[in-house]
Amino acid sequence: MNKLVSVALWPLIAIVGAFSFAALALGRGEHVSAVWLVTAALCVYFIAYRFYSRFIANKVLRLDDTRVTPAERHNDGMDYVPTNKYVLYGHHFAAIAGAGPLVGPVLAAQMGFLPGTLWILVGVVLAGAVQDFIVLFASVRRDGKSLGEMIKMELGSAAGSIAMVGILAIMIIILAVLSLVVVKALADSPWGLFTIAATIPIALIMGVYMRMVRPGRVGEASVIGVVLLMSALIYGQTVANDPVWGPFFTWHGTQLAWAIIIYGAVASSLPVWLMLAPRDYLSTFLKIGTIVALAIGIYYVAPPLAMPATTRFIDGSGPVFSGSLFPFLFITIACGSVSGFHALISSGTTPKMVEKESHMRLIGFGGMLTESFVAIMALTAASVLDPGIYFAMNSPSAVIGTTAANAAQVISSWGFTITPEMLSQTAVDIGENSILSRTGGAPTLAVGMAQILGQAVGGKSMEAFWYHFAILFEALFILTAVDAGTRVGRFMIQDMMGHLYRPMGDTEFLPANLVGTGLCVALWGYFLYQGVIDPLGGINTLWQLFGVGNQMLAGIALLLCTSVLVKMKRERYVWVTLVPTVWLLITTLTAGVQKVFSSDPRVGFIALARKFSTAAAEGKVLAPAKSIEEMQRVAFNNYLDAVVCGVFVLLVLAMCVFTLKICRQALRQALPTAQEIPPTANVQGAT
Amino acid sequence: MTTETNTVASLDIGEAPASGRAGFFSRLRDVRQVCRQIFGMPDYERYLAHAAAHHPGRPVLSRSAYCAQAIEHKYGKGGQRCC
Repeated sequence: MNKLVSVALWPLIAIVGAFSFAALALGRGEHVSAVWLVTAALCVYFIAYRFYSRFIANKVLRLDDTRVTPAERHNDGMDYVPTNKYVLYGHHFAAIAGAGPLVGPVLAAQMGFLPGTLWILVGVVLAGAVQDFIVLFASVRRDGKSLGEMIKMELGSAAGSIAMVGILAIMIIILAVLSLVVVKALADSPWGLFTIAATIPIALIMGVYMRMVRPGRVGEASVIGVVLLMSALIYGQTVANDPVWGPFFTWHGTQLAWAIIIYGAVASSLPVWLMLAPRDYLSTFLKIGTIVALAIGIYYVAPPLAMPATTRFIDGSGPVFSGSLFPFLFITIACGSVSGFHALISSGTTPKMVEKESHMRLIGFGGMLTESFVAIMALTAASVLDPGIYFAMNSPSAVIGTTAANAAQVISSWGFTITPEMLSQTAVDIGENSILSRTGGAPTLAVGMAQILGQAVGGKSMEAFWYHFAILFEALFILTAVDAGTRVGRFMIQDMMGHLYRPMGDTEFLPANLVGTGLCVALWGYFLYQGVIDPLGGINTLWQLFGVGNQMLAGIALLLCTSVLVKMKRERYVWVTLVPTVWLLITTLTAGVQKVFSSDPRVGFIALARKFSTAAAEGKVLAPAKSIEEMQRVAFNNYLDAVVCGVFVLLVLAMCVFTLKICRQALRQALPTAQEIPPTANVQGAT
Repeated sequence: MTTETNTVASLDIGEAPASGRAGFFSRLRDVRQVCRQIFGMPDYERYLAHAAAHHPGRPVLSRSAYCAQAIEHKYGKGGQRCC
């Protein structure tokens, strides 16, 4: 019976998928429903999961349920806990889903919905899900070791140290770019800022409640938190319209940047139960709730895709980010296709909770497919917007000016007809002063979500509520990530400084902690501040730097996976990791080299720096800079970005050399040399 | 501190439900437990079950001590989270 269902089901899914793609491909000249896009994606996921992940599980990795997992070996009821497969899948998904899959696809929509969709789908099946799955597998077979430790074990300690420096650098850029997204979303938005500010006292109330009032009652505290959060969101509109409080919560970019820097330093120094844990719960509720609501909303409303399949900006002249489709699409959409950061999560808490090896297929591969689905929905939300609105929100003011009339004229000249009235009306609908140059992806996604959810519940009058709900959801988990990321960064910095001067590595030593936190915040704070005051917009520089870094980390993780397969003597199947590794190396190294050396100042950091420093030396002020000092700052920051990007390129090249060397050695051996825990290792019992 | 007994709430989703009110409440407990674990919250009932199964007779942590320790373990080093 089961076999019969399977024989009928899979061809059916294939046909539905093929039909959805046909609807997307053939629907020229008229608007195609977003349902086809989402359905096509779902069919690809189901087929990839059923066939490709099974092949990897059975043939390539040969998962073995008789082996003892770390969770069973150390079962301590605290960190190492054998966990139900579906529960752990949910938990893992909640840990990997962040702002990345929401922002990248929105930016990439400037090239039309099709290039982004294809890269998200092909990338996740062949690269992203494979990476997450095999890193999780490698970690489980190595007693739950982290990515850095595994690189050290399998590729040597020099490779391990280089990887640690790379991970820290990427972390700093991620914290900066995520904070920049929040600054861009909350600038001049009193409703948004009030709601986000309110989450701080709400988290404190929750923290105190579950620690002192009703110790250990986390569920009760969460219910209180959610009720307070929704009240703050609703009350925010009143605050924004208030003649006194409205202006009080209207902040500029630089004020917000300082606020986030101070917040990062203070929040990451507080006890975790007071703020980090309760906020993390709130943000996880919102995250999962919003993703589910959006999926239902898209199917219920079935909005047409207003964005064309491809736009003229695939040639690299787009206002949202510059650079042509190859290689820049592949670094703009990182999370959602393949994200190096997932390698850290897949070798973090998840491997300590895996009950049986076969479960990793759903958790690792399936978890990443689900994340990719979030990216597809973000792309959909951006593509259902009128393209004129999309470009008004995502182009820097240097390109479209600061008035609705000017913006409408410029954008219409690109072939996306829009009137100044439509731009102002959209701002009124979502309860904001202006929608011009609200870059960073979050506001665009929020407007798209507001239009979809508004059509499902509440109509036009509810759009402002849904917009701020979406902003709250994104900003809340970004700020939680800033808090947690600063702590992680501090431990990494202290670990490195401890090698130079031992007391600095002592995490119980207060002065060392303060120096570590200060250094970490100063590093990402610098990049954040530079992004906020960057007259050219900030996001288009920092997001690409982040993309290069994140994809290079994925390249490093896949190099590790490749060496693990070779050392296990499974070289027959090495193409499973080698193909995505080579593709990632080609795209990211091309992008990295172009970002540094391209002679086009819109693409190359050095070319832009030269252009500004030369002009400054001649006493000329180039728009959009307003003074010689601004000119020099642009030049300096671009030189700095070139150095960071160059370091990423060198790190990856070094890792390639290490991997090649190790793989050649392993190929000469007749027996497996991978450093796994032997399958016969006993259950040591609980401690 | 509460004096809850060692409730070994099952996580086996496919398990046949008990009938009537007791069945409803045990289902509700399962749902709450699943939510706690997905959201990464401390799960005291699961800890008690673990202690009963692996260290019978040994003293167990109180609810507040367990939760404080679990939160410290999960977030103490920053906790992992993605971009």
